[in-house]
Parts: sequence; structure tokens; C-alpha cells
Amino acid sequence: MSVSDPGRGRSLLWTALLLIVVFAVVPALLASAGRSYLYQVANLIMIFSLLSVSMHLVTGVAGLLQLGHAAFYGVGAYCAALLATHFKLSIGITLPAAGLAAGLVAFLVALPTMRLVSIYFAVATLGIGQMLYVVMLNWVPVTKGPNGILLFGGLQFLGFDLSKPAPAYFFVATVVSVSIYVLHRLSHSYYGNALRALREDDQCADAMGIDTARLKLESFTVSGFFAGVAGALWAHTAGYISPADFNFNVSILILSMVVLGGLGSLPGAIVGAVLLIGLPELLREFKAGDYRNIIIGLVLFGAILFLPKGLIGETSALDLVRRQFGRGRSIPGHEGGVGWK
Amino acid sequence: MLNRRSLLSLGAGALALSVSSAAFAQQPTYKIGYQLPLTGNTAQYGVDFKNAAEIALDRFAKANKPFKVEIVFEDSRSDAKEGVAIARKFADDKAIVGVLGDFTSGVSMASAQVYKEAGMPQLSQTASHPDYAKISEWQFRNITTQAQEGPLNAEWMYALGYRKVAVIAEQTDWGQTVVSNFADKFKALGGQVVFSEFFNRGLADFRPILTKIGRERPDAIYTGFFYEDGAQFLKQAKQLGLATPIHSTSAAYNQQLITLAGGDSEGMKLTATFLPTNPAANVQEFVAAWKAKTGQAEPGQFPAQAYDAVNIMLAALERAHAAGNVTRKSLRDQLAATKDFPGVTGNTTFDANREPAKQLVRAQVKGGAFVAVQN
Repeated sequence: MSVSDPGRGRSLLWTALLLIVVFAVVPALLASAGRSYLYQVANLIMIFSLLSVSMHLVTGVAGLLQLGHAAFYGVGAYCAALLATHFKLSIGITLPAAGLAAGLVAFLVALPTMRLVSIYFAVATLGIGQMLYVVMLNWVPVTKGPNGILLFGGLQFLGFDLSKPAPAYFFVATVVSVSIYVLHRLSHSYYGNALRALREDDQCADAMGIDTARLKLESFTVSGFFAGVAGALWAHTAGYISPADFNFNVSILILSMVVLGGLGSLPGAIVGAVLLIGLPELLREFKAGDYRNIIIGLVLFGAILFLPKGLIGETSALDLVRRQFGRGRSIPGHEGGVGWK
Repeated sequence: MLNRRSLLSLGAGALALSVSSAAFAQQPTYKIGYQLPLTGNTAQYGVDFKNAAEIALDRFAKANKPFKVEIVFEDSRSDAKEGVAIARKFADDKAIVGVLGDFTSGVSMASAQVYKEAGMPQLSQTASHPDYAKISEWQFRNITTQAQEGPLNAEWMYALGYRKVAVIAEQTDWGQTVVSNFADKFKALGGQVVFSEFFNRGLADFRPILTKIGRERPDAIYTGFFYEDGAQFLKQAKQLGLATPIHSTSAAYNQQLITLAGGDSEGMKLTATFLPTNPAANVQEFVAAWKAKTGQAEPGQFPAQAYDAVNIMLAALERAHAAGNVTRKSLRDQLAATKDFPGVTGNTTFDANREPAKQLVRAQVKGGAFVAVQN
């Protein structure tokens, strides 16, 4: 690939632009407002963006309806909280550990369920999500059950205390950006195309030589890993977790973000998270009171009614990503081809 | 560069400022935050708290105090995510000097992390988790914990001659403390806990548990439930013909229990800190105001705790104001100094760990009402 490749230049420009927004514009706005409340909302939006983008990989791209995503989020949060309280470990260690634990659980869950398709898979994940929730609730000697776990350490990283709102924002933003970049590379690549083929027709994909069972297993494990990372972020930024944070409603909330943004669309998943976390808080600012829930319900209903493909549908999202971030359009003889490398 | 005109206008401005601040000094307004579930699964409790708080605030406003108080209510939906965001919001608002709430221990504790860092006094009317008040010196609560209620019930039931008791409670942090505090004391007294199980809140069918309890043939059953689950439990126990005496905690104390369970609640015994039939003037004033405001029957235990919590906060604020210094820190110190506060849930004193010590009374359902009993 030559340096003068216009695709590469544009991709760099867009990436730089996004990074500037996340690491300069937003924090500058937050700092000028000087309210820790807004930092809190920003952190929540980022954590839920990671959750919805990780679910997007399985539900949007691979087409496996996942109804137990909150459970992996919970496994990660509990793993981080237990390591932090029992062994006084900082987030530098608990974060990857939480990801690995949630990924491992997702892998084990995926093994027996990978042969299931469509609604059967959905019901299986629903069952597993509930099972993990009940374990968190009732395995009192380890999880302290409904008492939840208090973390007194705050957010420590490499000996620095990042508990204050601004440092916490930058930490969460860095972790979430790197994670979403990885998920972006996975879903916008030949690998992502293989997952999409699997979604459209798994028998056909199988016949084309794609190892469908393995792909499902991998995408499910990766998705679980990042849900676990999000769990560690929540545990360390909130300082207290209990099973109620990871119940079925949360799985449905994350699913709503993915569907609202557009199934199969990564930017859509982020927009969905921004909207479904941001809007309730925005309405709180405008003192909407009891109408808050009704307005959110109407927005969801209207979005599905008028934009059934989501706020940023998959086709337009892919188009956007290909045009602005797509690299490697210069494969000899494949100009204007699949567009990924 | 300053010329004479700008100096003049500056002086005029300063004068106006000092005049207006003097006007304010005569009647300052302090803000209190109240985070509580006004929508969602536990909204019925939050709405009760809001009514109780408004009654307390009304009464305060009519008493011609030297300052005004405004309460800012925020809906947490009993969701930790929202609770933490609200806590940040309250902490940001420099005018807010103290916070009440939340309803569940989980949300109260997640929010407490923010209040601890921000240095904001927090008084929850219902957070009963054993570790809540231990989070920092800024956390207070106005609910008797099971550490006090459990042993008292154990002694009561032992004195009634029960030796074999079955214990059930909801599977929450609170339910855990119901069982452990009661069982420890009851066993220490020489009794036997023959059955112990937790159920999930909102369980529709208690019959499997009741059948298992029946098989153990206990002398009595000790229960940790709120009125919704309690009514189901009592009705189904009657349907199965279980005649074993049933004891419960102050959480079940709610007129709704009797309304929902009807005659099946007859004879149930419990401990409580608040009885609307108490002839004391302050209790009757609250009960009358409650009926007038909500159009409901008598208030339950929780609204009474909320009413007292607001009043305790207001009294602390008044002392801080009298001392000429109202800050979050001074309000915290005044809260900690609360001694023998005469509330509708009995006299309240915060101990060194910011836990309230209260007088518990024994009550029983008789003829469709809770009445005080000796044993």
C-alpha cells in the first residue's frame, strides 16, 4: 500500500477527529461545566457503549440474539470487585482479569449452545443469564449475595489515584476506546463479513467453507470478554456492586441500545447507548419528573416504527465506515471490491 | 484602568450586593436533596416518603423559623446507576447541605461512595445493610437494624415457650440480616432453628416453602418480609391449614398487610417502632396530616421513618443555623449530636457509629388492626 493512498489519509483523519472529540472536546466541555455529575453520566455512557458494542458483535453482526449479556458484565464486575477487596489489586490487574473471567464463562456457555439457532439460542442465553444472576444473588459466601460488595480502594492505576472525576473519565475513555477499536476491527473486516454470512445463512456459509461453530464460539467469547471489561470499569468507578446491577432488565437495556442504533451497525450501538443513558439524565435536568419513562418509551417506539433499521442502519453504517475508515482498497485487481483488509 | 466612574459603579454594585445579602441574611434558604424511587418497582415506597417529607416540610414552614428549607426530590428508580448520578448532582450543587435517602441499601451504598468523597451528610430512612453506616462518618440512618430487632424477637419468642422455630426471609441484604441476627440469639438462648430458607421478592407461590415448614413441625415461624409478600404468605399458610403462630419484623408493619391478607393476618405478631394508634400528640398529628394529604388509611412504618428522618435533618439544620454556621460539615456534626429526638418512631439518638437506638414495641393483628401487646 502506498503512502499516498487517499483511503489511508482519510481514515487517519477520521480517527484523529474521533480521538480529539473523546479526549479533548468532551473533557473540555465537562471541565468548563465543572460538574462531577456530568462526568458520571459521561462515564456511564462510555461503559454502556462498550456493553452495547460488544453485544453488537454477537447480536448485530453474527445474528445471535443474546438475552443474557448483563450476566457477563456482572461476572466481570464481581471478578474485579473480589480481586480488589480480597487481594488489594489495582485496576491494572483486575481489568484484564475481569475480561478473561467473563470471556472464559462466555466460552464455557458457548460450547453447548453453539448448535442452537435463532429463538432457541435466545432462550438458552436468557436461561444462562438468569442462572448467573441467581448465582450472584445466592452464592453468599463468595459474592456476599444481595449484600453486594463495597470497594474501598477507589480507582488506582500504576500507583496513581484516578478516583477524581476527570482522571476517571480519561481512564474509562482510554479503555473503552481501545476496546471499541478492537471490536471495530473485528466487525469491519473479512472476519466480520464471515460473521455476517453466518447471520444471513449459516448453512450456506458452512458450505462455503466457513467454520460456523468456531466463529460463533469466538465471537461470543470476545463479546463476553469486553462485557467483563465494562463490568470492571463499573465496579471500580461506582465503588459498590450488587446483583441488582446485572439483572435481566440490564440485558434488555443493552439489547435496546443495539436495536435502537441499528442491528449490525457499530456506530449505531454507540448512538443507542448515548441516547438511552443520556436521554433519561437529560430529562432529569429538564425536570420531566414522572414523564421521563413515558418519553423514553415513546422515543423507543417511534424509532422502531419509523426507523426499523435503527438510527444508523447497518447498510449506511457499513458505507460510512468503509468510506471513512476503510483501508486497503488498493488490492490489485480488486478496486471497489469488498473493501476490507 | 479604573476611572472615577467605574469606581463609583463598582462601589454602588458592592453596596447593592451587601444590601441584597443582608436581605437574604434575614431569611436564608437551605437546600436538602432527597433521592428516592418515584417510578419503577419500588415506587410505592418512594411516593410515601415524598408525602411524608412534604408533611414534615409543611409543618416546618408553618412554625415560623428564621430560615427556609427547600427539598429537591430526584427519582432514582431504585437503580444504582441513577442513584450514583443523582449523588454527583447533589454533590455538585453547592446550595445542598444534606441528603436524605435512598430507599434500598444497594442504591444508598453506591451513592454513599460519592457522598463520602464529597463530604456530604447522608441520612437514609430505610437502608438497613449492616455495612451502610460503616462506609464513612457521613452516613446516618433512621431505621432500627436487625442487630437490634432480631435478638429482641428471639427473646420474645423464647419467652413464649417456643423452642423449635422455622425462619424464612426474602433474599436481600436485609433478609440475610433478619435470619442471622435472630438465629444467633435464639440458638444462644437454647432454642433450635429447624428450618431456614430465603425466597425471592415477589414470589407468587409460597406453598412449597410452607409445606416444607409444616413437615418440620416447628413451634412458631419467624419471617422477614414486606407487606406484599407477607400478605401472600399469610393467605397461603391459612389455605394449607397451617396453624403455627407467625412472628415478623417491623418491615411487615403496614396497614396494607391487613387489607391484602384480610382475616388471614389475624394473630400475627411483630415488633415495631411506630404504631398509628399511639395516643402521643406528635403521632396523632402525623397520622391526621397523612390521612388528609394522601387520602389513605394510617401510614406504615416506613413513611413514619421518613417523616422522622426529615425532621431530624431539619432539627440539625436549625441547630447549625443557630450556631451561625450552616455547611455540610457543620450539619454532619449536628446530625451526629442528635440526642433523644422525639419522633413518631420513638426517641432517636445516634450512637458513635451513627446508628439510631430506638424503643421497639410489641404488636399483634387483632380485629383488623395492629394493637400493642405485652407478650
